[in-house]
Amino acid sequence: MKPQDAKTPILECDESEIAIRLRGVTNKFGDTIIHENLDLDVLRGETIGFVGGSGAGKSVLLRTIIGLNRPFAGSVEVMGVNVWNDLETAKKKLASYWGVMFQDGALFSSMNVLENVMIPMKEHTNLSKKMMVEIAELKILMAGLPLSSAQKLPSELSGGMRKRAALARALSLDPYILFLDEPTAGLDPITAGRFDELINELKETLGLTVFLITHDLDTLRDACDRVAALANKHIEAIGPLEYVRTQADGWLKEYFSGPRGRAALG
Amino acid sequence: MEQSHIQNENNPVIAPKLLLSGDDSGDRILKIIGDFDIDSIGPMGGVIDEIINYLKDNNAKIATIDTVKLGKFDTSGAHLISKLIEHENMPKIIGNHQSFERLLNEIDKYHDTEFIEPVETDIFVLVGKRVWDSLKNAWAELVSTISFVGATIYSLVKSIFSPQKIRWTQTVAIMETAGFNAIPIVFMLTFFIGVVITFMGAQTLQSFGASVFVVELLGWSVLREFAVLITAIILAGRSASAFTAQLGSMKMNQEVDAMSIMGLEPMDVLVIPRVLALLFMMPILVFFAMLAGLLGGGIVSILSLDMSVQMFLTRLQENVGARHFWVGMAKVPIMASIIAIVGCRKGLEVENDVISLGRNTTAAVVQSIFMVIVVDAIFAMVYNELEI
Repeated sequence: MKPQDAKTPILECDESEIAIRLRGVTNKFGDTIIHENLDLDVLRGETIGFVGGSGAGKSVLLRTIIGLNRPFAGSVEVMGVNVWNDLETAKKKLASYWGVMFQDGALFSSMNVLENVMIPMKEHTNLSKKMMVEIAELKILMAGLPLSSAQKLPSELSGGMRKRAALARALSLDPYILFLDEPTAGLDPITAGRFDELINELKETLGLTVFLITHDLDTLRDACDRVAALANKHIEAIGPLEYVRTQADGWLKEYFSGPRGRAALG
Repeated sequence: MEQSHIQNENNPVIAPKLLLSGDDSGDRILKIIGDFDIDSIGPMGGVIDEIINYLKDNNAKIATIDTVKLGKFDTSGAHLISKLIEHENMPKIIGNHQSFERLLNEIDKYHDTEFIEPVETDIFVLVGKRVWDSLKNAWAELVSTISFVGATIYSLVKSIFSPQKIRWTQTVAIMETAGFNAIPIVFMLTFFIGVVITFMGAQTLQSFGASVFVVELLGWSVLREFAVLITAIILAGRSASAFTAQLGSMKMNQEVDAMSIMGLEPMDVLVIPRVLALLFMMPILVFFAMLAGLLGGGIVSILSLDMSVQMFLTRLQENVGARHFWVGMAKVPIMASIIAIVGCRKGLEVENDVISLGRNTTAAVVQSIFMVIVVDAIFAMVYNELEI
């Protein structure tokens, strides 16, 4: 199935085309329900961007998918592996299937960038030290960082560079799926634009599925095949950007037709 | 992406193999068999070096790459293959592997990168550097401690002259958490110290037939040393670390910066209330500690050494007296200032990473206990000279 035809949360297609599958996911904290009966299919090889107001539960959804926040009900499958049935086994298996770039990088502050990128390799492969260093440096270059920053500590990097270093670490094991939490937040427009290009490039060359959360309309326009809008505790609209814009209602309408929305999307 | 390219139980790693064949012309065909990705290339490093050497020795190059039998392939595999090929004229690729050519071209972009080997320093150099660094650090630490103490005293004096500027609400809140809440633990510990001193002292003194002097022993040691020292050590562990952690996380959260641009001096808002709170509370804590120590010792004397209550109290009053109480109390303000100042200084020194928060919290406790004991020793010497 092509991303441009996929306009419903549940897709009628072969299992092998699906990267992430959520069924009936309900999340709640105390009495506050965040998601209720949320369904979602993400296609392999697409870039899907999640939008939604503050508190709509975008980050909670991401954490539910990557095994950090146990859903109250429902099932989560990533690359055919059920995440929450047997979390420990699933995480072992999925560690090399997915790479996550957290919002502020979440780089290990006691290690330099190179060591940060090498951590997943040390855990999950049997490569020699020399080969690991070379591959890690390659990933740093692919993430658009100069090699001179490989020996730097995260605290010595700027915000944009930290994000790139985090991206390099996420790419460390050549994952199938890349999760990006607000990849362009806090970046200047030029750096943000380059980041969008980088995501596109990596997706093309590495054949990645990209799941990203963003508020950045430019990212939605330039980097995403599909857009999913999270509102009213479920996926309110999903599909190519043009399609989702026509479905806009409430918060989403304001989002797309506000001055920033018009400036970015025309 | 095809399902078959995902590794699972049904689809294990196929060990990779590289075959080199060809004629005398120098053009070789490289055949890649099996999986060539990050999970499988571990043992291939040596093979790659061998091939590079072979090609160099025979003045040959790889003109064709056969990918028909290639399984999984990723950037790591591409990195190894890109070491073998000449970048000016890319070899011909046989087979239509879904990602081989794309990944190889991508990775080949970086072929002229000089990879940086991680520096491994000589052990002697390392030791020398460590020693030099720690000397340098110790000096810097001394200088910054003295300047911080100076700044604190300056602010303290300033706020004494304008007491309406002192943040009393905060001071009282800290007095509660750092002082009042510590009363039970201080009481308990010194109680047991008193018990132990009396037991041990009585045993030794008994052999001289002088077990009645245990009251003097107890009174002197608890009032002069133990009450103050135990309280100071508990406060160093309890409050110095708390101050460092509080101020450190505020610093990391840029709260300290926000304060100073609003014209609120971090010294006045954060440090002075803590110093004052300990200055007010520590004498009270030490007072409780003294009571508890004497109580513990008294109970042991009366119950197990068969001393009458009257006799214990009389000896305490006549042979120990209030002098030792004041000798002990005189140290308290210095100890309180040390603990508060070390805790606050370490907190404000936290940088923007989690490591320094942990490091400084530990350092605050260690440094304040160290300084408390050193200062106590200095007091002991001075008292000795003055014969108090």
